[in-house]
Amino acid sequence: MKQLPTFVFVVLLVLPWLLPAYAVQVAIQALVLAGFAMSFNFLFQNTGLLSFGHAAFFGAGAYTAALLMSKAGWGYLAALPVALAASALVALVIGFLSVRLTKIYFTMLTLAFAQMLWAVAHRWYNFTGGDNGITGVRPAGILGTAHGLYYLSLACLVAVSLVLSLVSRSPAGYTLRAVRDNPARVAAIGVSSFEYVLAAFVLSGMLSGLSGFLQLAWQRSAFPDLLFWTTSAQVIIASILGGSGRFYGPVVGAAVLVSAQAVVQSHTQYWPLALGLVLLALVLFFPAGVAGLFSRAERRREEESERAAA
Amino acid sequence: MTGLASASSLFLLAAGLSLIFGALGIVNFAHGSFYMLGAYLLFWMTRGDAGSFWHYLLLAVAASVVIGAVVERIFLRPVLRRPEHFQILLTYALLLIIADVCRIAFGSDYKSISMPPGFSGPVFVLGTAFPAYYAGLVGLAASAAILLWLLLHRTRYGLLVRAVTQDREMLEALGVNVPALFTVVFAVGIGLAGFGGAVSLPLQSTSTDVAVDAVISAFIVVVVGGLGSIWGALLGAFLIGEVQAFGALVLPEFSIVFVYLLMALVLLFRPWGLLGRAPAVRT
Repeated sequence: MKQLPTFVFVVLLVLPWLLPAYAVQVAIQALVLAGFAMSFNFLFQNTGLLSFGHAAFFGAGAYTAALLMSKAGWGYLAALPVALAASALVALVIGFLSVRLTKIYFTMLTLAFAQMLWAVAHRWYNFTGGDNGITGVRPAGILGTAHGLYYLSLACLVAVSLVLSLVSRSPAGYTLRAVRDNPARVAAIGVSSFEYVLAAFVLSGMLSGLSGFLQLAWQRSAFPDLLFWTTSAQVIIASILGGSGRFYGPVVGAAVLVSAQAVVQSHTQYWPLALGLVLLALVLFFPAGVAGLFSRAERRREEESERAAA
Repeated sequence: MTGLASASSLFLLAAGLSLIFGALGIVNFAHGSFYMLGAYLLFWMTRGDAGSFWHYLLLAVAASVVIGAVVERIFLRPVLRRPEHFQILLTYALLLIIADVCRIAFGSDYKSISMPPGFSGPVFVLGTAFPAYYAGLVGLAASAAILLWLLLHRTRYGLLVRAVTQDREMLEALGVNVPALFTVVFAVGIGLAGFGGAVSLPLQSTSTDVAVDAVISAFIVVVVGGLGSIWGALLGAFLIGEVQAFGALVLPEFSIVFVYLLMALVLLFRPWGLLGRAPAVRT
């Protein structure tokens, strides 16, 4: 089972050559959401803070690149560093004010800040285009093609998971989880938890901005919806659907969510109803998420093989 | 006055949310959906004819209460003791389901209804004419606030509801049927949301998009006023109305930004809200 991520990666490398054009679009969407969900879940899992404002960083990444491309004529990739810096900056400001709070107060404050950005983007017609959005943004060259964008998204997902797994396993990662589990004790040891949590918040926000940057190329436009609270809800759902307790859980959740949406929407317009029913069932009957189902089956297999060996 | 009228409907919505959070500790993301459902129920019962508005208003509120009780029993009870994110996921699932059920049942066009009879004429406030319904609405919300306060602070049942916000285990140890209490509180909260939605129908048309906006407005009101406080919800609804009106004078395009700014400021300096009580134990 240790080789599973490598195996999945190899499958993902050849996937676009096996899929029809429409399915490649769906796959890109899944990769983008997977990266976003991993970034969100990194914060949620390591600090216990449930952010309801990650749409702010996602949207900041998308809007920064969209503005640079449409107003200043920048190239798509040239806008990447600025988009990342902008998301990180937004995360720094929001995080600086929010991470002092915990639990539901933290959740509501991140929600308030993200909604503030949404309101600005929604109304500032001269700059962001208001609810007309920014349209006609298309990367030049190979990145404008489906396959080009697919491999860029895949590379970004791999980069995000490498960075996050490195940080999670570093001393800083252990400090974060210590703060989550026993803040008083960490303070007593003499570690200032604020800087660690803030750094995790900024990293999570910056990588969410990377996903927003990719989302922009996928939909070739930026709309205030990217910043609306339902976007934050979407990423929470993907994480918990896949199982937020496991490192690759959010990836599984994003893949399941996006492909289920594509399948259901080709048959009926009532995708929200279907998603709602699935979520109900998930919460009431399978609290460990889809990835939890796998690990349960895995554990049962292991137990059986142990019994067979004995 | 127009602001006050919509603040009244907002208060009813937010008071329900606040009550539910205070007692059950659940952040109900589907709260706006029950507000919307109340409006749709009224529209469906009256068939768009305002003739017997008041009878059907009572009926719509009663229906909301019943729906609230059923939802609590079937869906909420299993997750009450689970981590917060399960509760958020569950109520978000309800939001999605209710939105699509309404879309199937009522279509996605805007539904509205005219002012009810007896309240369609104008009243004059400071020399300006307003529909009498606005004044009626403010009166309704004010009486609802007083009634709620009396229920919570002057009856034994209200005492139990307040007690459960403090210490659930102790109340259970004293032999109070807490799950039944939760069902009643949730049903009343949903009834208030339905009430707020139904009375807003002559003010603004409803559509399936109303739910996501309404729930956010209710959050802001409750956060500003203080989670679990009735007067806080009243103050919050009033402040939001005023800030929006004030913002519309200064920077009309961004009046909504001021509202979120107010919410953020309150959260930063008084996370428990203007009239809420600071948690005794900071965890």
